[in-house]
Amino acid sequence: MALSTGRSNGGGATVAQRLQKELMDMMTHPTEGITAFPDDENMTKWTATIEGPDDTPYAKLTFKLSMEFASTYPYTAPTVMFKTPIYHPNVDFSGRICLDILKDKWSAIYNINAVLLSLQSLLGEPNNASPLNGEAADLWEKDFPEFQRKVTARHKAPEELDAGDI
Amino acid sequence: MDYQSLAFASVFPVPSLSHTTPTPIATPDLGYTVPGQSFGSPYISNASGQHRAVRRNLAWSTATRFLSLPKQIVGTNASFDALRLPRNLEIEDALVYLLVGEGKSEGKHEESLVDWYTSEVRLHFANLVRPILEELWNKVFDVFWYEIELRHAWELLGHTQEVLQRVQHLYLQSFSDHILPFLLQNNISSSSSTIRPNRPTHAADAYAADSTDWSFRRDIHAVFAHCVPSQRFSKTLSYILYDSGCKLFRIYARQDGVQPVPEPDDIRASRQRMTDLLQGLEQVGLGGDIAQKAFAHSMDKLLDSFITSHYLKVDWFSKKSVVPQIRMWIRDGFCPLVELVMECLRCDPSNVQPTELQSWQEMALGRLGRARVDDLFDFVINWDRSKGAILDIKEYLKIAGAKQNLTSSFSQQISRRLLHPGATTTYILNVYIFIIRAFHELEPKGVLLERVARPIRRYLKDRDDTARIIISSLLTNLKDESGTKFTSGGELSYEIASEMQQPFENRDHEPDSELDWNDINWQPLPTDASPEYKKSKVEDVIWFLLTLWEREDFINELRNILGDHLLRCQDPEYQNEIRLLELIKIRLGEDKMQACEVMLRDVLDSKRINDSIRASRPSPLRTPELTRQPRHPRIPRKPRTPRTPQGVPRTPLSGRLTTSTPHVPSWTPNAPAGTTLNAQILSSFFWPLLRDDEFLVPAQIQTLQKEYESRFERIKGMRKLRWMNALGDGAVTLDFSDRTEEYDKLTPWQVSVIYAFQPQPGEEQNVRKGKAKAKDASISRNVAELEEMLEMDELLVRQALAFWAGKSVLRETGPDTYEVVEILSTSASDTDAAAAAQELAEVQAQAQAGAVRSQSDVLLEKKEVYMTFISGMLTAQGNLPVNRILMMMRIMVQGGFPFGAEEVRELLTVMESEGKVVALGGDSFGIRK
Repeated sequence: MALSTGRSNGGGATVAQRLQKELMDMMTHPTEGITAFPDDENMTKWTATIEGPDDTPYAKLTFKLSMEFASTYPYTAPTVMFKTPIYHPNVDFSGRICLDILKDKWSAIYNINAVLLSLQSLLGEPNNASPLNGEAADLWEKDFPEFQRKVTARHKAPEELDAGDI
Repeated sequence: MDYQSLAFASVFPVPSLSHTTPTPIATPDLGYTVPGQSFGSPYISNASGQHRAVRRNLAWSTATRFLSLPKQIVGTNASFDALRLPRNLEIEDALVYLLVGEGKSEGKHEESLVDWYTSEVRLHFANLVRPILEELWNKVFDVFWYEIELRHAWELLGHTQEVLQRVQHLYLQSFSDHILPFLLQNNISSSSSTIRPNRPTHAADAYAADSTDWSFRRDIHAVFAHCVPSQRFSKTLSYILYDSGCKLFRIYARQDGVQPVPEPDDIRASRQRMTDLLQGLEQVGLGGDIAQKAFAHSMDKLLDSFITSHYLKVDWFSKKSVVPQIRMWIRDGFCPLVELVMECLRCDPSNVQPTELQSWQEMALGRLGRARVDDLFDFVINWDRSKGAILDIKEYLKIAGAKQNLTSSFSQQISRRLLHPGATTTYILNVYIFIIRAFHELEPKGVLLERVARPIRRYLKDRDDTARIIISSLLTNLKDESGTKFTSGGELSYEIASEMQQPFENRDHEPDSELDWNDINWQPLPTDASPEYKKSKVEDVIWFLLTLWEREDFINELRNILGDHLLRCQDPEYQNEIRLLELIKIRLGEDKMQACEVMLRDVLDSKRINDSIRASRPSPLRTPELTRQPRHPRIPRKPRTPRTPQGVPRTPLSGRLTTSTPHVPSWTPNAPAGTTLNAQILSSFFWPLLRDDEFLVPAQIQTLQKEYESRFERIKGMRKLRWMNALGDGAVTLDFSDRTEEYDKLTPWQVSVIYAFQPQPGEEQNVRKGKAKAKDASISRNVAELEEMLEMDELLVRQALAFWAGKSVLRETGPDTYEVVEILSTSASDTDAAAAAQELAEVQAQAQAGAVRSQSDVLLEKKEVYMTFISGMLTAQGNLPVNRILMMMRIMVQGGFPFGAEEVRELLTVMESEGKVVALGGDSFGIRK
């Protein structure tokens, strides 16, 4: 916390530089199944996609996320939301995510790639102890085929999503 | 007519045959009966009127018969009076009666004798003269539609004038002999008969006579003028005036294309001829408006022709303006002519007003200026010698509208003659420099220059090689370059180089001229300057060139070129480079120049370090035989060193080294000290990306490098070097069985490859045996072997092999297999092979030339990253147009995206062919789904 307040001066430029560097890293060493890119010349808003891991109900599905970085990044966590509707115990219906590293466990050593990788693994291993979507958590435990069906029913391809936006 | 018939006619007037007899003679007008009076008596109404009418008829008949004009064409000089009957008393009476007596026309229904005579003249003219004139004019016009055959013009007008003058004489003679005197007489008689002479009355009568005379003349002139086709007449006349003007002023380039025949003494004659003709025309009434218009027209053309003929030639030697001469000519040559003509045409006033003179001078200047502006481009490219013409234009610019004309005309000339793909950048730059110089003369305030130079600057900015040419020209030393380097197709601009030689002027201390209130020569900015316009303080040519780009772009480019240049530079003092940097710093300010300064300091420091390292070397590395002096700049990479200022992560070095290495047995060391290595230590952070092809250098050099490295570490406190083997150059001496040859300025890979033809450690003993066997020991190697031995790129291997083959050092013995040419044979096949190889080597060398990686190399290398960027961008943001992609790339790519829309489009095309993106039309692209 001390660090973040100390850095508030000229934070905008620093964040932009940091994000530019992260972007460059991700471009030079792309990770399979993950993409992220700024929305516009204002580097603090990004759109990311993750692909559902194999052997999970989300396999072969692509999810769009929005990321927003405060001027104190990387000392505060980015705000991450699912844009693609998703049926998941730790994600509510408006896309908000319950993930420790995006909340109190955030650390400045994380970066965008790490966040997205964590989210990708969260798809396969939900934390059913603190669900945002109780029904999903229940079904995950009790009726997996039904869970699978609900996941598929709720999912929309990014294209459909785009069409919906218009 | 005999007396009898006259007597008869006096009683019973015979109706005239030539004209209508007034009705009353045949049928006397009985008048109408006034209501209330008895009908039918001739005496009832107006007996006296009746009587008068009869008398008038008689007199009329007599007078008209007398005045009737002859019915055939009169001979040239025969006086008409000779044919006419003598005027007798009766006729005089009749004339007096009709003109001034009771028979004067009363009211509107009675025709006066003057009117009758006028119409008689008209009739006569229409019947007899007009056909002649029409024939005259039509004959000439038949063939040439409207254009008169020029040589006929004089004849035609002369003839016309003659005919008209003759008939006019005829008409006027009768009029003035037989009519006018009576009118005047009447005045006299009436005034004398008046008891109290009344001067006003007399004056009025004289005036009446004059006005009759005047209106008669006007009438016949109208008839004449009507008869002559006015348009043709005015054309012909204007031609005549033009022609004589041309003759008078000895004009050579005439608009009608007539070649002047040298007739030395005909000026006076032709002037006389013109004066006569004009006066004649004026006399027959053709000198009025039509002639004046024709005159104006011809003078207009004359002015043009005169200027074209006499002043368009540029005086290339005295470099003076011709404007004063033109002004003088207008005043002393043109005006007198105009006055002469106006006098002939009886214009009013017939002398030239000073304001007119001035406006003519301006007209002349305007024409001269416009004609000059049309050739301005030629003047500009011949600048300095064409100074006279430029000064003319400078005068011309004072005229309203001149600047617009100049700007638009010159812009057109530029776009047609300069800004096209056929012009080399060097040429354009040279012309731009000329433009700057010429326009500085033209308008020192620079507003005009700014305006005309805008398209050129824009165009130059788009050319890829502009910056390179400018900077390398700036770095060229004029003195020791031969003139052949500066061809228009070449890469170096002589003009820029010579500008660079001019001494620096320290303009910082120059006070702002706009604020210098003591400046007597201060001039306001021209009216067409925009409100924000501010004349640049420094204004030499180099300043204009350096400000072509945004500062930062320029400095980036400068960094690349300077880097390349420094690595090749032979001048140990780097004077030109230091000077250039100083100059740029003065012009553009010091910030952002850090990289360039570091580069310069690197090379300068390297020298020092080399010296100190060499001094600390215990014993020179000595190796037998072959001497080889490759200079290899290399860049050592070093993990972050806390010692580097600004936390520079890498401290690269480049080395120049000189080594001796053994080769074929028969070598003598040509320097007892063996080889020396000179390294250049470059701070990679500040240098542009350099080519770093990896390959093995000869063992000796490697040893030297290691040695150098260790000493360097000692001096520089553990900094590490990363050698960049592809940079630098070297010199070798090759001893063959029959010859010794020295080569320098070789590329490192050429040195390495030739060194590879040395016996390797395993093979050495065979070769060591002696000179005699050297020939047998010629080692042959093939491309694949060399690639493996040297860990070198195939391209480089082949290039080096071709180079050596071209020098007749190697010979291709089989496909891809080469051996050393120990004994130079003179066989044609070898020579041919060598020549062919040399050609190949040159082509390849060009492709390999730069030490700094070109942009296209960078693009190629980073293509993958950029493509990932683009697909990431399209995924995150949906479909985007190319320009937007470009903008985003510029913002987001770390280290900048130095490319343009063209390259982005190229990348997108590649991606499209790989099926990653899809073109959506309208220059937009999207991710293929």
